[in-house]
Amino acid sequence: MPWIKKEKAEKLKEHFPSIKINQYKDNISVEIEKEKLKEFLSFLKENPEYQFKMFIDFSCVDYPLSNPRFQGVYILYSPQYKERIIIKTWATNEELPTITDLWKGAKWAEREAYDMFGIKFQGHENLVRMFMWENYPYYPLRKDFPKEGIKNTYLPSLNEPENSYPSHDYDPYHTAIPTLQDLEVTQKTRMPEKKAQIVLNWGPLHPGTHGTIWFIFDLEGETVKNCEIILGQLHRGIEKLSEDITYTQVIPYTDRMDYISAICSNVAYVNAVEKLLDVPVPEKAKWIRTMLCELQRINSHLLWLGTFALDLGALTIFLYTFREREKIMDIIEGIAGIRLNSTYMRIGGVRMDLPQGAIDVIKHFIKDFPSKLKEYEDILTKNRIWLRRNIGLGIITEEDVYSYGITGVVARGSGVPYDIRFTDPTDAYDKVDFEIPLGTQGDCYDRYLVRMEEMRQSLEIVKQCIEKLEKLKDDKYLATDNPYVLPTLEETFNSIEAMVKDFNLRIYGEQAPEGEIYSSGENPRGELGFYIINKGEGKPYRLRIRSGAFYNLQIFPELIIGRTVADAVVLLGSLDPVVGETDR
Amino acid sequence: MAIIGGNNGIILTTVEEVLSWGRRNSLWPVSIGLACCAIEMMHTAASRFDTDRLGIIFRGSPRQSDVLIVAGTVVNKVAPMLKLIYDQMPDPKWVISMGGCSSGGGPFPTYSTLQGIDRIIPVDVYVPGCPPTPQALLWGIHQLQKKIKARQEGKELEEIPVRTPTASFPIKS
Repeated sequence: MPWIKKEKAEKLKEHFPSIKINQYKDNISVEIEKEKLKEFLSFLKENPEYQFKMFIDFSCVDYPLSNPRFQGVYILYSPQYKERIIIKTWATNEELPTITDLWKGAKWAEREAYDMFGIKFQGHENLVRMFMWENYPYYPLRKDFPKEGIKNTYLPSLNEPENSYPSHDYDPYHTAIPTLQDLEVTQKTRMPEKKAQIVLNWGPLHPGTHGTIWFIFDLEGETVKNCEIILGQLHRGIEKLSEDITYTQVIPYTDRMDYISAICSNVAYVNAVEKLLDVPVPEKAKWIRTMLCELQRINSHLLWLGTFALDLGALTIFLYTFREREKIMDIIEGIAGIRLNSTYMRIGGVRMDLPQGAIDVIKHFIKDFPSKLKEYEDILTKNRIWLRRNIGLGIITEEDVYSYGITGVVARGSGVPYDIRFTDPTDAYDKVDFEIPLGTQGDCYDRYLVRMEEMRQSLEIVKQCIEKLEKLKDDKYLATDNPYVLPTLEETFNSIEAMVKDFNLRIYGEQAPEGEIYSSGENPRGELGFYIINKGEGKPYRLRIRSGAFYNLQIFPELIIGRTVADAVVLLGSLDPVVGETDR
Repeated sequence: MAIIGGNNGIILTTVEEVLSWGRRNSLWPVSIGLACCAIEMMHTAASRFDTDRLGIIFRGSPRQSDVLIVAGTVVNKVAPMLKLIYDQMPDPKWVISMGGCSSGGGPFPTYSTLQGIDRIIPVDVYVPGCPPTPQALLWGIHQLQKKIKARQEGKELEEIPVRTPTASFPIKS
């Protein structure tokens, strides 16, 4: 269990007598006043007994009735002792000291807190809005801001004929959309002064940016002198939305965050809620989850390989990988019913049992896939163009990994053995045998090799899961006797108790005990963490999503400075962000 | 179109008909992906469904294309940029709204999401789904082709017939 022990945390009182230590389940949180925060954090980072070198997350929570109103929450990790800790502090006068001098990764997280809550950070180098545009007057994640926003603009549908009844239930008034001038202002505030010859905009609607990321390059000839990234072109307000719905209703939104690896996101969220509600998961569901997660990981890495190769000009690989992806999509469609955003997981298990013949299809896929993987490697691994464009580009050191809070493949490509499947195993990961590939240089080529090897390891895990699942044929797949778990469709139709339970859970939600939890899962894009605060209602009071891609992307400007624009495409491809997850 | 004299190789037609035939069989969409639906759009273009055989080739520039497939959630911040891209496309141009988010906000009734792209650009075909499967997108493209044909003949395609299954049966192994 990767949390600091209570006794060890108590020892902190010798140095800082004013701290308060709270515990919920195994999560240890330490509360400290704002004046001593910086001192305390640098103590935790430097002291050889603690060594919390790695930055995991920073977010804020709004308590409108208390004074001071906002609370900052820091989550740190100690690679030496494999422990996590939560540090909390109250933001008096809506201000907090910046910690970007301790961890560079806090830069965007603090911008996000400013954007969403309006908290000022003293000493931050350029405190601008993270997701919304400049001139946006509100702070959306505050509790007094409505979920739908302020509808003050008349923006009727162009397809609806005038002076007639609308074809569907819609409001002609809409939230304000920015003008092009507003976006220009946003761009100017990001890069206040031009240092070199020309400012080049790359994105947001460019096929090479893997979604809608907006890059600004300051160019001297072809060399990048300065770079900034504007996010928020896919900010849909999932964190705000989930404060208003029950825990089960949040599951579909986790699909739509990281849409390439929907099942992995589902599992990470469901595990966090199960930890909060103390729901046991049946053995069979655990193995199904692990198996589908790994299939999804292969699926995600295949998409990465295809688009990465496409960005570098190798169109063939794109068509090849999509051929394999279709096979995995068909397997997922057969099991879950939906191809992409399957919402297959439920609190306390999975939605349906494995259908007949599913295991045979997966077996066939396992037999078939290694030869295809070899095909890709034959084309790419020793290809001269591939080597020239990848080797030596975007070298990430171990220091950077800790400072920026980089996780997932990007961290492992730099030789940091940080894998949630290994440090905090959920589901059946503690029972399967697999290896974690590590890079040596930390460049784009290493990340490519790590991902290729990971696909092989995932295949090994799927094999072991299938062996186990063949033995567990008639077991339960949903722990329906637990009060927090929705009954299956069959039970709901056939028994009145199950129907009442279903109604109660759907209308009032899972009335969880008061508490808070941070739990994470290993997404193909890095650590996907969920920090949930519950106030005893059927819905989360605050649901913070720690996105792996958000923190991984943050290192991009540092790596691209001094390189050419052509390298930006390669570097972005090897970092592999998904905008749905970075923007949420 | 009328063919005269069997194998003589003479076809009688009008200019409008040829133009319409050419337009509906070479729809070139802008390659813009916004969110989840873009993945399914890529699948439609890739090896299995292969839209190239329908003459659909994704172009990198709006100046070269005549169809805008809005694949994914359009948030308020990106709406003016999408409008800019639509304005840059040469006439005649068509818009396919792919998925629930772009058609009407989808599952995101929030402060930052545009509740339907028809508030900023006119839409020709709505494809339902979250996300729509590649088959659904192909259906949408076929509907657009029908619509182009109907417009050339001076008719408006008033109603798109939707066939719904009347009964369902379990799959037998």
